[in-house]
Amino acid sequence: MNIPETAHNLTCYFTWMGEDGIARTKVKKGSEVKLEHAQENSVVVNSFYVDSKFPLLIDARGIKSMEREARSFFTTNGRQTNTLAFGIIIDSSVSKVVGNFFMAISKPKVPTRLFLNEEAALEWLQKFKEK
Amino acid sequence: MNPHEAKYIQERTNAILDVIMAYANLDFTQKTQITDKDDVFDAIASGVNMLGEELENSVITLQERASLLQEVHHRVKNNLQIISSLMNLQASYTKDEKFLALIRECRNRIISMSMIHEMLYRSKDLSRIQVLDYIKTLTLSINSSFSGSVSDVTFEYDIDEKIYLEAERMIPIGLIINEAVSNSFKYAFPHRKGLIRVDFKMSKTHFFLRITDDGIGLPKEIRTEEFESLGIQLINALSDQLSAEMKILRENGLGYELLFRIDN
Repeated sequence: MNIPETAHNLTCYFTWMGEDGIARTKVKKGSEVKLEHAQENSVVVNSFYVDSKFPLLIDARGIKSMEREARSFFTTNGRQTNTLAFGIIIDSSVSKVVGNFFMAISKPKVPTRLFLNEEAALEWLQKFKEK
Repeated sequence: MNPHEAKYIQERTNAILDVIMAYANLDFTQKTQITDKDDVFDAIASGVNMLGEELENSVITLQERASLLQEVHHRVKNNLQIISSLMNLQASYTKDEKFLALIRECRNRIISMSMIHEMLYRSKDLSRIQVLDYIKTLTLSINSSFSGSVSDVTFEYDIDEKIYLEAERMIPIGLIINEAVSNSFKYAFPHRKGLIRVDFKMSKTHFFLRITDDGIGLPKEIRTEEFESLGIQLINALSDQLSAEMKILRENGLGYELLFRIDN
């Protein structure tokens, strides 16, 4: 995943809107994601479009840990979000555990799938784009 | 495997096991270390840490619920006791025997319920109380309300100490026992001397409750189906609440027998 110069450089993430209408967020290597980092990322993601919703590609390959409050926040349960679906890329040992834990225990409220590569994730997210 | 690798595996395994043991003791202050190696131990450590967080959250939720439930039982018991005290206060303004008897009946009914909530908030699981403990406490309370310490009425019990019941069924059972025992005190023993027996047993499928006295019983000319005091009406209604089969026993005194399913 190439990070464009226009990407927002957040504490634990690089976040930007792709030209294809799919938002992207890449976890910085070794990040230990806490609630404030999740909220910081969410503010940026929700600012991309005001009136329309979009899918989000999350590259979680560099993650080291994510605390419970952050996982809970990312489920979007009980809060306003512009996100229609999550495609999460995992490949490292830790990212696989965190990704699967998020899916099975935290239970996100929008359609979510785990992928081992970016192409497959983008293909799946395409169908959630608003027409 | 070289000694360096063996040492690494041993140390990481021990560190993870230490944290699992801490979680098993409900100590959630510890976390397993996740290194930058991103190996299988980091993956396990990550999973253990997240499971610990979820477990901590569940434990807190359960503790909050238990504390809330305990508070509810405490408040219900207090409110019932206030009602009972108000009735007592009202009774102190009159010498009318009929009115005083009515107040006593109402108070005993209220106390039979408040006792359940008191036992529930003192119990460990806050949901069930021991039937033996409850019935003994209840009958002694009824005894003192009727006769104080000068009664020659004695009680016998044959109650399985292993039986615990939830409030939903204990309340009607308590009220039934209250009515039956109160009736015995009121009508069965003109010489204020006698025996009241309470049995509570369990088979594989049913509970069996029997309350009997060895008093004078009902006059022979009164048929059971014509027996319509408020007490017996209440016992009938409460039996229906338990989906119980109820029989009135008229040999050697008066008694009531109820059979109801364990799995209601």
